[in-house]
Amino acid sequence: MSAEPISYPDDDALAEDRRRLEETWKSRPGLLGWISEVGHAKLGKRYVVTAFVFFALGGIEAALMRIQLARPEAGFLDPDLYNQIFTMHGSTMMFLFAVPMMLGLGVYLVPLMIGARNMAFPRLNAFSYFTYLAGGLLLYSFFFLNIGPDAGWFSYVPLAGPDYSPGKRADVWAQLITFTEISGLAVAVNLITTIFKHRAPGMSLNRLPLYVWSMLVTSFMVVFAMPAIMLASLMLAMDRLVDTHFFNPAEGGDAILWQHLFWFFGHPEVYMIFLPATGIVSTLIAVFSRRQTFGYLTLVLSLVATGFIGFGLWVHHMFATGLPQLGQSFFTAASIMIAIPSGAQVFCWLATLWGGKLRFRTPLMYVLGFIFTFVMGGLTGVMLASVPLDLQVHDTFFVVAHFHYVLIGGAVFPLLGGLFYWFPKMTGRMLSEKLGHLSFWLVFLGFNLTFFPQHILGLNGMPRRVYTYPPETGWGDLNLLSSLGAVVLALGVLVYVFNALRSLRSGPIAGDDPWESESLEWATSSPPPPYNFHLIPTVSDRYPLWTRTGDEPVVTGLKSDRREVLVTNTLDAELDHRDTSPGPSFSPFFLAVGVAVTFITSIFTPWGVVIGAVPCFLALLAWFWPRLDQGHTVLKEKKS
Amino acid sequence: MTRDRPVSVLDASDLPTVVFGPRSTLWWGVMGIMTIEGMMFAIMAVSYYYLRGTAQMWPPSGVVHPGVGITTLSLAVLLASMAPAYLAARAISREDLRGARNWFAVTVLFGIAALVLRAMVLDRLTFLWNSHAYGSLIWTTAGLHITHIFTGTVENILFVILLHRGPVEDKHLLDARLNSFYWYFVALSWVPFYVIFWLDPALLALRSAALP
Repeated sequence: MSAEPISYPDDDALAEDRRRLEETWKSRPGLLGWISEVGHAKLGKRYVVTAFVFFALGGIEAALMRIQLARPEAGFLDPDLYNQIFTMHGSTMMFLFAVPMMLGLGVYLVPLMIGARNMAFPRLNAFSYFTYLAGGLLLYSFFFLNIGPDAGWFSYVPLAGPDYSPGKRADVWAQLITFTEISGLAVAVNLITTIFKHRAPGMSLNRLPLYVWSMLVTSFMVVFAMPAIMLASLMLAMDRLVDTHFFNPAEGGDAILWQHLFWFFGHPEVYMIFLPATGIVSTLIAVFSRRQTFGYLTLVLSLVATGFIGFGLWVHHMFATGLPQLGQSFFTAASIMIAIPSGAQVFCWLATLWGGKLRFRTPLMYVLGFIFTFVMGGLTGVMLASVPLDLQVHDTFFVVAHFHYVLIGGAVFPLLGGLFYWFPKMTGRMLSEKLGHLSFWLVFLGFNLTFFPQHILGLNGMPRRVYTYPPETGWGDLNLLSSLGAVVLALGVLVYVFNALRSLRSGPIAGDDPWESESLEWATSSPPPPYNFHLIPTVSDRYPLWTRTGDEPVVTGLKSDRREVLVTNTLDAELDHRDTSPGPSFSPFFLAVGVAVTFITSIFTPWGVVIGAVPCFLALLAWFWPRLDQGHTVLKEKKS
Repeated sequence: MTRDRPVSVLDASDLPTVVFGPRSTLWWGVMGIMTIEGMMFAIMAVSYYYLRGTAQMWPPSGVVHPGVGITTLSLAVLLASMAPAYLAARAISREDLRGARNWFAVTVLFGIAALVLRAMVLDRLTFLWNSHAYGSLIWTTAGLHITHIFTGTVENILFVILLHRGPVEDKHLLDARLNSFYWYFVALSWVPFYVIFWLDPALLALRSAALP
């Protein structure tokens, strides 16, 4: 990369340039601005807020279940409502909270971390958000109409099939899946392209921040795993609506096929949630122990290895279905093997902490809580990988305890720490450390109090998904303890939310880089301007802000009177070409509406596909309607 | 990086604005959608073999092969349609708009012929999607793929219109080339299913017929 030292235009020219950037990249005002927004930062924040609302709804559902289970033979929820609520809880947390939250945070952070002005496909980004939102609204509207799905978050057939689930409940679930998966797939392709093509010059792949690596691997997992569940939910919907027989054994179908297709997606899904969390942990550990992460290469290879091995484990969810023994052994081996990259990651983090000067701020507290909790969840995971033990505790609260340890401990803790850490970047204001520590201890203790007893309940034989249990079982005390723990956990989340709302109004002003961090998002103002960086930075190290000398070159020559962005090459991020990024547009919103019309009408009639095709086609036509761009040459037909 | 006065600069003003292939972001987007859809087709194939493995009788009784001739012709027309799509892309690289428009128009004709032949194949089937799981698989896979031929053909028509009425900008050259690229995927993605659904059973029938 050759940079020429020149005397840059004077301050007036720079100020003029900045003013033009402001003008070019600004959003439309008001409601029209809301639906035509294409900026990654605004959409990313919208994802985070929306996903947090769904997190709260899923949490309320959890609380209702804990009230019902606090004592034997309680009558707080009737069995039918209980079925709907545990299904809503699982579906909300997995499809409307965890994955969209992780992808949405990536939408916010990745362009900032790699020095880009926006995502590679800004309008696709807006479409993804609206599709996700439509899926969530669909699920909750039908739930409030008493048409909430009730066959569990993995909606097993034959229970969810036409014979045992008449009515529309299972169809609502199937369409929710289609919405969220379309959205997730679109975000994944968008992130991959952004990461491969829009990095700041000099940010070769071996200088990519670990968080961005984690989002890259996650996005690839989404691309290969989510098509399975989209097809599976299509097959389920067709079995129910047009009498196909994919899962009907009487006509040559097979119910186990559903489990294979679901878990071929469902197990990688766990890693789609967990890998971004490891990216957050790697970031936070480096920043709060004041040193470069130990074992960058090991951490990257662990991410990639997890991405591959994660596709070879799905059958361990199906040990109870009576599979051939050789198959079981293979999947046991693969399930234990995934402990190797996970273990390598944990050791790298410990080594980083070991030699660092720790600053025990709230984000680091959440990370330490993560390591403790995740290691415990990992241990029960290794236990469950063994077939005899799995058969014994299958469908008991032991499994419930295990996956809450890995999902809350492994993903929600790092997420809460990460949101605390990036809150100043997103809003320009600091959160209160006092309230932060308080929320951490409430969440951490409340979590362990809620879920540790569930291990014992499971070993004692309490099955999951029962709306109550008789007093003679002796499960009452531990259940009460678990429910009390849930109160503490909920308090912790409330303190966290209160902290955020309070700081939004009156938190101290953060400044560009309040944590003395290492990556590029802290090299711009808080919150960043809509174009992210006035002059695109260049990078010559993995920790650009810690090693900068002050004479790194910056990129000039991008037009400021249109949304021009820099594209670099895939491996080494050398200058390649300039591209024009689209501005605000209504088409993504209308396409999402068209998609919603298609899916919602096809809950009731197969003609929904035809009816919905009309608005979709019109929206796409508007989207791709050729408009003259500044900076592009109009070609004339050559005379022959 | 937040300095007001940079010391040295990398000048981007001479960089090109239209590039092709993996250098362009759009190529990665199209690769992404092809990977996703390829994955969906792969899962249909896997489901087919899974159900075949558990079935008592496969295909179920009463299923008559639609005929090696028409299924092969249907595939051949689809594969042949890659030729005009390729010629359109080549015309695009020469910035020959008229040539590209004409070749895309020919691709459209091939696409329509492929749709007609596909409809004829489906018409010869002795079962529907609701007859048995085998029928569900064949009809759903065929439906997914027909949707691709249909939308691909609509896209080709839109390109003919764009190239005809203009204004065509240099950035559209990339779009048009990727359109051909995607069309190859549409055509080639039926090859495995031709083998799985039509060729393999025909060969099996041939072999068992040859047995004494």
